[in-house]
Amino acid sequence: MRLAWVKNHPTSPTEFYPGLASEWEVSDDNLELTVTIHPDATWSDGTPVTAEDVVVSSNIAYTRGSGAFILDPGAAGAASDIEVVDDKTIQFTQDPENPTREFVNGIMNMTIVPAHVYGDLLPADFEQTLEAARGDDDAADDAREAVAEAGEAVVGFAPEEDISAGPYVLERINPSEALLVRNEHFHNDHLVAPDQVIVRSYDGNEQVWDYLRAGELDSSHFVAVPADVVQQIEAVPGNEASRTYSPVVAGLAFNQSYEPFDDIHVRRALAFALDREQVVNIASPDGGVAATTTSGMHQEVLDAWVGGAAGDLEPFAYDLDRAAEELEAAGMTQEDGRWIQANGEPFEVPIQVVSGFSDWIAAGENMATQLNEFGIDSEILTAPDFTVYQEEMAAGAYPVGFWLIGLGPSPYNIYQRLYGQSNGWQVLAGQLSYSEPGEDGNWKGGPETYEVEGHGTVNPGELAHELRTADEARTNEIMTILAQTTNEHLPVVQMWDYVNTQFSNNTRFITDPPDDARRVTGVTSLAGIWIQQGWVTAVE
Amino acid sequence: MIWVVLTFTFVIISIMPGDPVRAMYEQLIQQGYSPQQAESETALLHRFRPTGNIAEQYVEYIGSLLRFDLGQSMYTRVDVGDVLLDAAKWTVIPVLLGTILSFGLGVFIGVYAAIKRSSKLGDALTMSGSLLRGIPDFVIGLTLAAIFATLWPVLPRAGAVDIRYEPGFNLDYIFSLGYHAILPVATYTISAYGGFILAMKSSVVTVLGDDFILAAELRGMKRSIIFRYIARNAILPLFTVFALSIAAVFSGAIFIERIFNYPGLGMLLINSIGRRDITVMAGALLLITIAVIIANIVADMFYSVIDPRIRRAGERV
Repeated sequence: MRLAWVKNHPTSPTEFYPGLASEWEVSDDNLELTVTIHPDATWSDGTPVTAEDVVVSSNIAYTRGSGAFILDPGAAGAASDIEVVDDKTIQFTQDPENPTREFVNGIMNMTIVPAHVYGDLLPADFEQTLEAARGDDDAADDAREAVAEAGEAVVGFAPEEDISAGPYVLERINPSEALLVRNEHFHNDHLVAPDQVIVRSYDGNEQVWDYLRAGELDSSHFVAVPADVVQQIEAVPGNEASRTYSPVVAGLAFNQSYEPFDDIHVRRALAFALDREQVVNIASPDGGVAATTTSGMHQEVLDAWVGGAAGDLEPFAYDLDRAAEELEAAGMTQEDGRWIQANGEPFEVPIQVVSGFSDWIAAGENMATQLNEFGIDSEILTAPDFTVYQEEMAAGAYPVGFWLIGLGPSPYNIYQRLYGQSNGWQVLAGQLSYSEPGEDGNWKGGPETYEVEGHGTVNPGELAHELRTADEARTNEIMTILAQTTNEHLPVVQMWDYVNTQFSNNTRFITDPPDDARRVTGVTSLAGIWIQQGWVTAVE
Repeated sequence: MIWVVLTFTFVIISIMPGDPVRAMYEQLIQQGYSPQQAESETALLHRFRPTGNIAEQYVEYIGSLLRFDLGQSMYTRVDVGDVLLDAAKWTVIPVLLGTILSFGLGVFIGVYAAIKRSSKLGDALTMSGSLLRGIPDFVIGLTLAAIFATLWPVLPRAGAVDIRYEPGFNLDYIFSLGYHAILPVATYTISAYGGFILAMKSSVVTVLGDDFILAAELRGMKRSIIFRYIARNAILPLFTVFALSIAAVFSGAIFIERIFNYPGLGMLLINSIGRRDITVMAGALLLITIAVIIANIVADMFYSVIDPRIRRAGERV
């Protein structure tokens, strides 16, 4: 059970739905967070949830280095102090050296475990080790290693019975399913409709489609579903689909170490030559919306941050004449209907996709067809699985390939994806550095700085890094500059914004969460959150 | 032989591309986790990756196996031995059941097809064996799944048992086990059945032409006694086919379990490859390979035990 669930608001990272925390207060300077545990919060064995549980959970979080619980010197958004105010109240203080807006998010997202079950797993002197680990000398390095090692005992620990402060307790589990039964000690038990929940594992989207077509699921989280299967699913009595914002964008990324993709005219030509509407209609008609432009952001986030200025961005609407002009500007000529580079070689665009990613494969095939019809030799190449794809892409093996971007709504996350390690910028000990293309994971191979109209020389990596600590006004300014930089220089061509399509069946239960509760991320099952908030009700 | 398998397994896993931490991180990103959430989830995996150069890893690997220590899963931190044991029962029992069923069916129908080899029914039975022998087991599995789990959903397509039933010796639980096993077992049965029919028919036809059968007929022995002579002599080669079929079906379980999301060794291997859970991958690969080798060895040994002619020939040498 978590303290709270992050709403993923497009511009505000500090909005939550309550979990174990009933109240939270953030100081004006964003350096202090005071959390109050729900007065009736109780573990399933009848033990009250207290501040001690939160402290033990924070210590365990330090062993993983997760959220705000980071011990690396210079780490941004790290908690520097945790103080128990009373039995139900805890105050967290952010390190003032490198504060971030996501600090609160990193605390509230924390999973709380029972101190009377997990407390003894950490060494008795763990608090002292933590204190020693906050330095930057050799002793601190040793202490950090000791903290991380302490985490191994936690990971290897399996309590004999599940002790939960949430709406359910795990009754039994097998490799395919888990049975959860009502926790009558849950503080909001009166809001919980189902007495039991069966959670099914799945091994591929097709299996979820089968469950949905058979009407076997009361709720399903997002899976990519082709249009014909959506129709079959919606034809089942009681089945309903909801569609909402998903903070993910599919982009066609370039490795600019390969010629001619280092030429902006070539990248612009490809942006004009691809009919994104057609691509999406074929590849993911129900799970995506064709990108209106390339900004590095989902359209909804772009509107929220950049507002009216978004209209000034080049939309790269499908236009083969402009595509031809750009290729000619890149020194290419057309012979017998095929585009030839200045060096006499035919212009070839290999599009890398991944086996099993049906939407990427269908999109890649359509894009290759469109490019071939335009006179550019293009084909799709398929990596055997996503792990290999990631490794080979990071090693610079692919000139062109699909890449997820716009991982919002956090501004830092969005542009870190475009102007982070994959493009040469990385943070070590809190310091930003740049590596040349081909080094330290820089596979996109873009330049360190760009000339951007109206903004002069822009270092996008520095600006993206600054987003972590910038206040709202500065964040707004940076988002506008980076959207324009991305639009002018196209490290990727934005193909489609994902749509979060979720299914439920209202035969037995009505599932009706508010729209922003469908956007919560980082959880195995959104339905679990909706149930405990009272948004899943039994049919009378 | 086992050492060769161990080394081969190690080499395959060592040269397999893909970083498990990166794989899990990107899978979480695909599922909508924020980069921070994904980093948090994958943070601990860094500590469980193999360290040292390839030679050191090999020595460590062989040393661990000599101590019967298969290590722990990178993801669940459960001992790989326990993970394999838990998965093995979901492979061994259905595979054995399917192979025994197909053996029984194949022997019975094979004898009938041989005796009636000049009739249309005999031809039809032989043809059914030839056809099924040529169809890959995963095609049979997919076809059964499409018919009985999707088009006409009367059988479950996923899982081994309904979680609502208390595990133990009770009717609900046992019925649920059987109900979930129908499609995988039927796939194993159908995929091996063709081979048994053809082998049995061929063997019976050969035996029918032997002098001792002619002598028995000339001596006026009863048909039932002659049939026993035929069956006992004709079935001998089938035991070898049976053991080899177990090996083939066992390796084919990788595809069948994937189709029915059945939690056996094949499914475990596929999942561990997808996640690059190196220790589980090594354990599952090793166990499946050793099981196939052992089945082949048993087939060889079993044949000499049950056929006195082979044993005596060996003694003369």
